[in-house]
Amino acid sequence: MNNALWVYVQLNGQKVEPTSLQLITKARQIAEGRPVVALLAEDLTTNAEETVKEYGPDEIIVLKDDHFTQPTDGELADALFQVVSANTPNGLLFPATVQGRSVAPRLQAKLRTGLTADCLDVYYDGEDLIQVKPTYGDDIMCEILCPDHRPQMATVRPNTFNAEKVTGANVKITTATFTFHSEANIEVVSEKPIISSSANIADAKIVVALGRGADNDKTIALAEKAAAKLGGMVGVSRPLTDNPKFSHESQIGQSGNTIAPDLLINLGVSGAVQYTVGIENAGKVVSVNTDDKAPIFAVSDFGYVGTANEFLEALVNDIK
Amino acid sequence: MKIVVCIKQVPVGAVKIDPETHNLVRSNVEGDINPYDRNAIEAAIQLKEQAGGEVILLSMGPDSYISSLRDGLAMGADSAVLLSSRAFGGADTLATAYTLAAGIKKIGNVDLILFGRQSVDADTGQVGPIVAEDLAIPQITFAENIELHDHNVLVVKRLLDSAVQEVKVTLPAVVSVRAELNQPRYENPLNIQTSFEKSVTIWSEKDLDLDNSQIGQAGSPTVVRKVYAPDKATKQMEQLPTHASKAVTQLLSELNN
Ligand SMILES: Cc1cc2nc3c(=O)[nH]c(=O)nc-3n(C[C@H](O)[C@H](O)[C@H](O)COP(=O)(O)OP(=O)(O)OC[C@H]3O[C@@H](n4cnc5c(N)ncnc54)[C@H](O)[C@@H]3O)c2cc1C
Ligand SMILES: Cc1cc2nc3c(=O)[nH]c(=O)nc-3n(C[C@H](O)[C@H](O)[C@H](O)COP(=O)(O)OP(=O)(O)OC[C@H]3O[C@@H](n4cnc5c(N)ncnc54)[C@H](O)[C@@H]3O)c2cc1C
Repeated sequence: MNNALWVYVQLNGQKVEPTSLQLITKARQIAEGRPVVALLAEDLTTNAEETVKEYGPDEIIVLKDDHFTQPTDGELADALFQVVSANTPNGLLFPATVQGRSVAPRLQAKLRTGLTADCLDVYYDGEDLIQVKPTYGDDIMCEILCPDHRPQMATVRPNTFNAEKVTGANVKITTATFTFHSEANIEVVSEKPIISSSANIADAKIVVALGRGADNDKTIALAEKAAAKLGGMVGVSRPLTDNPKFSHESQIGQSGNTIAPDLLINLGVSGAVQYTVGIENAGKVVSVNTDDKAPIFAVSDFGYVGTANEFLEALVNDIK
Repeated sequence: MKIVVCIKQVPVGAVKIDPETHNLVRSNVEGDINPYDRNAIEAAIQLKEQAGGEVILLSMGPDSYISSLRDGLAMGADSAVLLSSRAFGGADTLATAYTLAAGIKKIGNVDLILFGRQSVDADTGQVGPIVAEDLAIPQITFAENIELHDHNVLVVKRLLDSAVQEVKVTLPAVVSVRAELNQPRYENPLNIQTSFEKSVTIWSEKDLDLDNSQIGQAGSPTVVRKVYAPDKATKQMEQLPTHASKAVTQLLSELNN
């Protein structure tokens, strides 16, 4: 058993998934003297440690094997288990991405320890890692801990923290000893990057967000025009993901994306807490709603009481 | 094909915090099938329509969950099993999955176990992968397309964060499904009627091959320390003029400052 705080570094192809870097920075801030260790599984042609190093973990443990180009969840969990159980760190953080949310519980089951999902904050209180997550239809948060089992595991919501580079850090790089076991009866046949939506709403600098009060073709077309003129992207509240024009990928909120644009324009969004948790890191927030009592105004810098359409028409006219 | 669909009942409408005990108050709140689990049931029925076999619903929870199992039977599942006992109470995802896995072993010879992508209340999405590990079989999470090849091979399209994966699996396996996979069918009057003739079996820990230290609260490593309503940061908002073009002009000039 050791007292280190580990962070799993996810790779998308050969690129480091940004949340992993955010978690290394967060881990350094909360570690209270515990070593911060990045855990990385990559194929022989990838050198992600070069990127990870810049964020200043104390150590990077690298699992190298050519099967890591396209591993199954089970293979990844098995390989990580060998290294994690040989060390039993104090804490182990995963990005709450699709891969993180699929592999972490499988690893948890092997380790017979606790795992808290989709945290918005983590910090130490003595030896306990306090894991803060939102929950339920109402605005409820809960603090979950794992007092008697190690590691204390959590998946953490993407884009909740900033990644910060560290200059001149002394990073030890260790090659892990493990054996890759191929999983029977399952095979990843192909993996194709998603081209069209690779511009991610979570990384957009300007977001025009549409809610149920803006769910008609005319308003949507105007919003797309405004977003294009502003160099931004269109996002949606959850009800609009039922509209075939939109998918989960552009959803903002608790069960969608956390966004952090410099400018966010909400149109016809009421401001339910499951939506607003996703916009807490936005810079300037402008909201347009026909109801002057809509809760969204309480989290806005500018408010316009009126229809989404009239506002968008004026906006599209005014921006060059 | 013998398919088990794991379903959870979730509260409908608001859940409140008791101001005294700080516990979640869920009494008097109606329950419904977790919406993603309807996609899982739909997927199971479609596979049965192609390959034959049976669809068994499985849930762990109090007896009130029977109403959701009946709803699932009314969609067209063949039978249902409820794992119900005081001993299962207070389970986190590890203990829930351990208990479900024991139920699946008892059902026996199961080819495919389907899950929703996550519950809409606790929202973890962890139960499916843990069950897969406990049964030592492959998992495919976040499926958005499932094709049956041969009688025991599935080709599944899985949406990752920035890629689409195609995964081929020889059954048995665990698959969790996204809402994009299908449109769950409605319960039709005939099925609703026959659902009351279908069997709902109830098993407690005595009916299952279990290590009692792994179930319920005792088998749950996580502890909820506190549940609270966060103070919401409110902003000082500037109200824009009611005339839209004036509003936009004022907004753009202030944003540029
Ligand atoms: C577990 C859980 C997770 C959830 N996750 C998410 C999530 O990630 N993201 C999310 O968004 N939701 C989520 N929800 C749903 C959330 O609770 C709300 O139901 C949802 O955000 C409401 O979307 P909305 O504001 O677009 O619609 P509504 O609440 O219906 O609001 C529409 C608004 O538009 C206004 N309006 C009407 N007409 C016009 C007009 N012509 N011009 C301008 N304004 C107009 C109305 O006054 C109203 O305020 C979740 C719910 C649960 C239970
Ligand atoms: C506020 C709150 C927060 C919680 N947070 C955590 C946490 O972070 N970590 C943790 O370990 N536990 C947590 N729990 C406990 C967790 O809710 C229970 O263990 C629950 O039984 C299963 O987890 P889930 O709802 O997240 O299901 P998920 O894993 O999200 O559900 C995925 C799928 O599994 C199936 N499934 C889930 N539950 C059942 C069931 N009882 N019977 C049959 N099938 C089922 C369904 O197909 C469902 O679609 C939390 C509970 C509460 C009340």
